[in-house]
Amino acid sequence: MDPKLTEVSQVFERFKAAFVRKDFDTCTSLLSQLKVLLTGFKSLPPLFEETPNAIHELTLARDIYEHAVVLSVKTEDQDAFERDFFQLKPYYTDSRGRLPPSPQEYPILGLNLLRLLVQNRIAEFHTELELLSPSALDNPCIKHAVELEQSFMEGAYNRVLSARQTVPHETYVYFMDLLAKTVRDEIAGCSEKAYDSLSLNDARQMLLFSSDKELLEYINEEHPEWEIKNGSVFFQRAKESVPCKEIPSLQLINQTLSYARELERIV
Amino acid sequence: MTQDVEMKEQQAAPSNSLSSTSPSTLQHLKDIAALIETGAYTREVRRIVRAIRWTIQLRKKLNASVLSAFLNFSLVPGSEVHSRLSSYVPKEDEQDMEVDTATSATQAPAKHSLPELEIYSYLLVLIFLIDQKRYNEHCTSKDLNRRTVDVLASRLYFYYSLSYELTGDLAETRGTLLALHRTATLRHDELGQETLLNLLLRNYLHYNLYDQAEKLRSKAPRFEAHSNQQANLMTLLELFYVNQLHSSLHFCRYLFYLGKIRTIQLEYTDAKESLLQAARKAPVSALGFRIQCNKWAVIVRLLLGEIPERTVFMQKGMEKALRPYFELTNAVRIGDLELFKTVAEKFASTFSSDRTNNLIVRLRHNVIRTGLRNISISYSRISLADVAKKLRLDSANPVADAESIVSKAIRDGAIDATLDHTNGWMVSKETGDIYSTNEPQIAFNSRIAFCLNMHNEAVRALRFPPNSHKEKESAEKEERDNSKSKSLQNI
Repeated sequence: MDPKLTEVSQVFERFKAAFVRKDFDTCTSLLSQLKVLLTGFKSLPPLFEETPNAIHELTLARDIYEHAVVLSVKTEDQDAFERDFFQLKPYYTDSRGRLPPSPQEYPILGLNLLRLLVQNRIAEFHTELELLSPSALDNPCIKHAVELEQSFMEGAYNRVLSARQTVPHETYVYFMDLLAKTVRDEIAGCSEKAYDSLSLNDARQMLLFSSDKELLEYINEEHPEWEIKNGSVFFQRAKESVPCKEIPSLQLINQTLSYARELERIV
Repeated sequence: MTQDVEMKEQQAAPSNSLSSTSPSTLQHLKDIAALIETGAYTREVRRIVRAIRWTIQLRKKLNASVLSAFLNFSLVPGSEVHSRLSSYVPKEDEQDMEVDTATSATQAPAKHSLPELEIYSYLLVLIFLIDQKRYNEHCTSKDLNRRTVDVLASRLYFYYSLSYELTGDLAETRGTLLALHRTATLRHDELGQETLLNLLLRNYLHYNLYDQAEKLRSKAPRFEAHSNQQANLMTLLELFYVNQLHSSLHFCRYLFYLGKIRTIQLEYTDAKESLLQAARKAPVSALGFRIQCNKWAVIVRLLLGEIPERTVFMQKGMEKALRPYFELTNAVRIGDLELFKTVAEKFASTFSSDRTNNLIVRLRHNVIRTGLRNISISYSRISLADVAKKLRLDSANPVADAESIVSKAIRDGAIDATLDHTNGWMVSKETGDIYSTNEPQIAFNSRIAFCLNMHNEAVRALRFPPNSHKEKESAEKEERDNSKSKSLQNI
């Protein structure tokens, strides 16, 4: 066996052991070691050279990056997640024919979709979605994210929140919690426009707070313009388009003059 | 092997009847070759464009014997290119060969080694192989830096990519095409650039790689939009016309791909513009292309909340193909979630072959919105439970769903209403008199501005392009003068 390969495998074993112990600091330092070691293999993307150990090396590298992605979720580092995911992606797309499919593929792709949703990058969300085959869309992990996006767009927020109970994978919980925060802001924005007033009790339930104190803190921080009177929250209604009382004469004169100029050019 | 046998059988039947026609086809090919030759010597691109059009007309008459005779005629027998290309053409009956070699021997002048003719031979063989459904045998060609080759080469790229697409391994060509595109850009070979960019976009979109396609598109040299307007306006100058018509077709394709990318990335307004423009600019004969454009345009307009007119679906030759999209539009227009679901299921196979499945999933949201708008218009006050029932929301807690959906619609400005949480009502607001606001004045102004702008653009398009020959010449002169003065100084 290739000595380089043995070395990587050994480091990876130590990484996995630390991973199981939940010793994430060790994991992070081992991971950077592993990434440097991986650059020594020519069979990996972007070179994809045909070496005798190519399949083995590709599988190992894919495994490492899969763990890296999961690790970044555990350490709650979204930037690292994005980096590791992009490094992992070629293993799923460009070496599909050569490697047996990984059992981790769909959970990780679903996780990425969820991340894009949390970061409100809907365009990229849909671009990623187009890459998936119809059979992949039926996978519970992917389906979960797709349905979330739909409910989110429709405004069925309670469906988004109840989806937290049905997460297909334990790593999803982190993003679901983040999503809950986004959803709360959305609900607050919508209620502001839709209601004249809400009783404190209703507002607390709607914004998913467990106590009135939390609600008051939230209002103070995020929406100081809301008024609290007689046990209800009054929203300041946005100014509506008032009927125009006077004619904007200057603007009209300008427009008419420009029409005249243009018409003159035509004639 | 079976393929070969089949092919021989196919040819066995017509070969007798062809014996009279084949010399004439060959004669045509020779005429074309002569045309290309003069074109190459006089550097007139126009002649070569005509030659290609002529070839497409002859396409149906191509067969192995004519082709091998032509190869003997145009290429130096025994040369590398000749032997390579001849190996793709199946051997014919000896009799046929004799007839052809006899005719070609009498007429063929000594040696041709023009690069244009070589490329043309490649093109012919490739077309022939595609017509014979032998997609697996690709032949590639070397490249040359000559303006007159550009036209031929761009056709060659097109058939090259097509042959790979038909075998289903389009991904393999990506590297080659990218390299060719780079070369074409370096050489200012506009036609090659346009062709290759379109081929690459098609390549990426074939695998749904919208991200890569957009990155390439945004970084590649931009298509010159004005050249395409000229194609429509400057019909008098034949040379211009022929050239620009080609690039206008490319532009059309490019707009279609652009529209697709933008649709996926949720830029619906821009996408609609590109797709409608592509559908309008496509030649009448390109029915399949126009149908595709219309399909996508319909969906994009639905996503934008517009309802396409009935005439869109009644265009000649498109009624049947657009039928699923017509029913879909109907469902969205009525705002009936149930009907929408049945339509989506009924035509699921059509939508998935059009690859519009995911877009249709996005439409669900619009259906709900339309339904909600209808309710809000018809009722001044309605309970949320009734709203949920009317929208046919099927979930665990329909009232709560309805409440949050309505509140989001209010925030997005889709309906004008307020919610009453304690009573569980939705109260629609009276629609005020729009003519008491400045709104109509603003709308009127934007329309006038649009018309005036259109007129100005039309006038501008009639002018000669900014970098006309005069400017170029004067620039060259200046350069020459500069270099002269420099060399003088050096002395």
